[in-house]
Amino acid sequence: MTSLLYLTRRVLQAVAVILVVTVVVFCLLHALPGGPARGILGPQATAQQIAEFNRAQGLDRPLPVQYLYYLRTLLHGDLGTSYTLNEPVSQLIAQRLPKTLVLTVLSAVVGLVIAVPLGMWQAVRRNKPVDYAVTALSFVAYATPVYFLGIILVLVFSQILPWFPPQAPQGDTVAQVLSDPAGLVLPVTAGAASMIAVFSRYMRAATLENLSEDYVRTARAGGTRQHAILWRHVFRNSLTPVIAMLGYYVPVLFGGALVVEQLFNYPGMGLLFWSAAQSSDYPVLLGCVLVISVATVVGTLLADIVQRIVDPRVKAGRS
Amino acid sequence: MSLARTAAGRRWALAAVVAVAAGTLLTGCAGGSGNSSSSESSDSVNYALPANFTPNWILPIGTAAHLNTNNISIAATLWEPLVAYDGSTGTIGWNKAASIASAADFAPDGKSVTITLGNRLWSDGTPITSRDVEFWFDLIKANKAQWANYNAGKAPDNWTGFKTIDAQHFTITFDKAYNPQWMLANELSMITPLPQHAWDRTSASAPVSDADRTPAGAQQVWNYLNTAAKNISAYATDPLWKTVSGPYTIDTYSTSGKVVLTANPKYDGGEKAGIKTVNLLPFTTTSAEENALRAGQVDYGYIDSTDLDQQSSFTNLGYTVKPWTGWAITYMPYNFNNPTMGPVFKQLYARQAIQTSIDQDSLAKVVFNGTAVPGYGPIPQAQSSDFLSPVQKSNPYPFSTTKAKALLAAHGWTEQNGIMVCTDPGSSATQCGAGVAQGTKFQMQVLSQSGSTVTDNMMSAIQSSLAESGIGLSIKTAPVNSVLSQTPQCTSGQSICTWQLSFFGTAGSWYFPAFPTGDSLFQSQGGSNFGSYSNPALDKLITASTTSNSTQAVQDYSAAAADDLPVIWLPEPDYQISVIRNGLGGFAQDSLADFHPAQWKWTK
Repeated sequence: MTSLLYLTRRVLQAVAVILVVTVVVFCLLHALPGGPARGILGPQATAQQIAEFNRAQGLDRPLPVQYLYYLRTLLHGDLGTSYTLNEPVSQLIAQRLPKTLVLTVLSAVVGLVIAVPLGMWQAVRRNKPVDYAVTALSFVAYATPVYFLGIILVLVFSQILPWFPPQAPQGDTVAQVLSDPAGLVLPVTAGAASMIAVFSRYMRAATLENLSEDYVRTARAGGTRQHAILWRHVFRNSLTPVIAMLGYYVPVLFGGALVVEQLFNYPGMGLLFWSAAQSSDYPVLLGCVLVISVATVVGTLLADIVQRIVDPRVKAGRS
Repeated sequence: MSLARTAAGRRWALAAVVAVAAGTLLTGCAGGSGNSSSSESSDSVNYALPANFTPNWILPIGTAAHLNTNNISIAATLWEPLVAYDGSTGTIGWNKAASIASAADFAPDGKSVTITLGNRLWSDGTPITSRDVEFWFDLIKANKAQWANYNAGKAPDNWTGFKTIDAQHFTITFDKAYNPQWMLANELSMITPLPQHAWDRTSASAPVSDADRTPAGAQQVWNYLNTAAKNISAYATDPLWKTVSGPYTIDTYSTSGKVVLTANPKYDGGEKAGIKTVNLLPFTTTSAEENALRAGQVDYGYIDSTDLDQQSSFTNLGYTVKPWTGWAITYMPYNFNNPTMGPVFKQLYARQAIQTSIDQDSLAKVVFNGTAVPGYGPIPQAQSSDFLSPVQKSNPYPFSTTKAKALLAAHGWTEQNGIMVCTDPGSSATQCGAGVAQGTKFQMQVLSQSGSTVTDNMMSAIQSSLAESGIGLSIKTAPVNSVLSQTPQCTSGQSICTWQLSFFGTAGSWYFPAFPTGDSLFQSQGGSNFGSYSNPALDKLITASTTSNSTQAVQDYSAAAADDLPVIWLPEPDYQISVIRNGLGGFAQDSLADFHPAQWKWTK
């Protein structure tokens, strides 16, 4: 199978998956009793206002008609307008997504930059006291909820030791966010901790597996230095499972962003999704689900493509 | 496998250092500017908006989805109301300093009012005249169905005419005689003079005209203004929003929630801005806001009532903790049309047994940490007022599970396995009552607002005390919007009518305008009478309270509703536990839950 054909097939699969996700979410949302009007308008809204809201939002039409209308507007690039925030959903996502991406990408990069060498180092030091110590720390970090870790970080590094602000940068744009690096330290640390724990374990296991391979023994017998063996051969081969996992980690990163955003007062996509769920803001919920679905599908697709580049065996296997 | 310890170890150490350094660089560990104080200058103040609220509307007219109380507060700093009837001076009344009108003279027959405007100018130098009020009046008349404050039969339906006398005087006539205080506090206070000379156009490119004077034209103007108001990003730049009458103008209005107000240099009213720049800060959660308070980034914020035990940590940081009481009541509506429990709820003795089983004093003291006051009827009790009847004040149903149990036993109920069961059906005075079938268990379910520890604790405490009376209560929780959606007015045949009790009052169930009438809440046709309570005698008293000139009419309604228990009365929590930086003063916290930044001043 050519790369182009493979890619086309994967993209079509992705579109189908996203379509199914929108149908399921749309049906689930509209299955909620009562509808969103009373919740959005509040206890003081009159019956006329509720009827007017339902008419204006098209909620008085049959469900299949509503869905088809939603799909039609979606195809025109219109995700609808938020019931509560009073702005087009696409605009809200355009405002919030870059902020969440800054947080998640920085957390992921910091996490990987630390986790990959750490995992390799542990593998090299296998069953030594340092390996045990790092393993124990990894388990602790993995088992610690992000929310709790965040509170501890704020308590220690913002209140007891006033080194960093308790809030993430409050700017609206990526440039404004990046212009306040001190504000990013605690949220990125909280976001990266569990990633370090998870990916250092993967990297350790993959490195150990590769170190026992014949090609390593051959290289070593040929006099290749340990450093060269590790970085030229073992490193690349050990990355395969890490890359595969990265794609599947996208929704986890978004989930983690929700907690981090709440804790560090950083209104991004996670918080947008949470607030919309709390207020039955259907257009925003659907928009967020769509974006997260696309991100997950694209993430796994990219992971597959990168895997094919990094590890020729994958390509051969799929051919 | 082994590594040469020295060289390889150094390389690993180097790799680790590089990794950490890269991480540090990426996260920009550039400096520890963590605890910057907010009010470094007396020209600015940082105010924390409620958690998870994003300001998104400044037009002082709009649909119900837009007019949140905080949006209204911001809008009122830009366009002053005709009659500012609020609690900003410490007691609820007409704050003339913050009003465009200087006098309101009601006709002796109570069927009209003549308003005198103060000698005021818009920020562009144009005089504020009767035409600006007429403009508002025309827009609302022609678009009442979309207007957030519209309630059929009330304003503008009951305003039959608007007559301009001259530039500073006009008369509004009513369909019948009304209590002037009610009319002033609850209806005329909704009017905001709008800059007709700048806003009366049907599109951005259309010239200013008298378009509002025809219904079709007024609808076009309404659509134009509401459409323009949806462009939040342009609030600070669109010339449309630059013509104001209030003490502030918009400096920045971020879509992520931060709003910066700056003093209006042309303001000529009585409530000039005390602080030049007001930063309204959004917060995702109360915890995030508390962290910012502790870091000194907020001058006027709040804490959860569960954090009151940490009061000293805030006072040590130079703050004063000050509860902000609301002009509100808190309650749990019964669904009188529920097929199972509706017939039970319709029995006054059953409602009395339930109310008697709720220990409001303990709830207020223990669960609310002293940040709530018991409420025994439809008039708020956190503030003293002439509206409160002695009956309501004295608590007609003091806590006693023994009495509650005896009351049920005297009406044909027998305790079986800890739950009262109707064993003597029928409608005589000693039987269960009309519609209550034999074997009916006194077992209720409440759909309660989630997300609050205080509410969860209150529900558990109520469940325990009801159990002592032989009344079962199961608790389901959902987000407040979901609670409101799932507990609507309904008839017994509807599938949605399975709800029995509803609670959406973590921050108070109902905030009143200045005059606390019960027409929406407890009148048979009231739009927010969720449980379909109906009592013709109370209907008459409510109507009388809006038309009679005497406060006795409101007291009569207060006493009757306290006696008849249309809902379960519950403690009224404070609107907010404010944490205010020492030195920030000059204001009272408005019990109508609005904030008035023009009154804030740095006193040291």
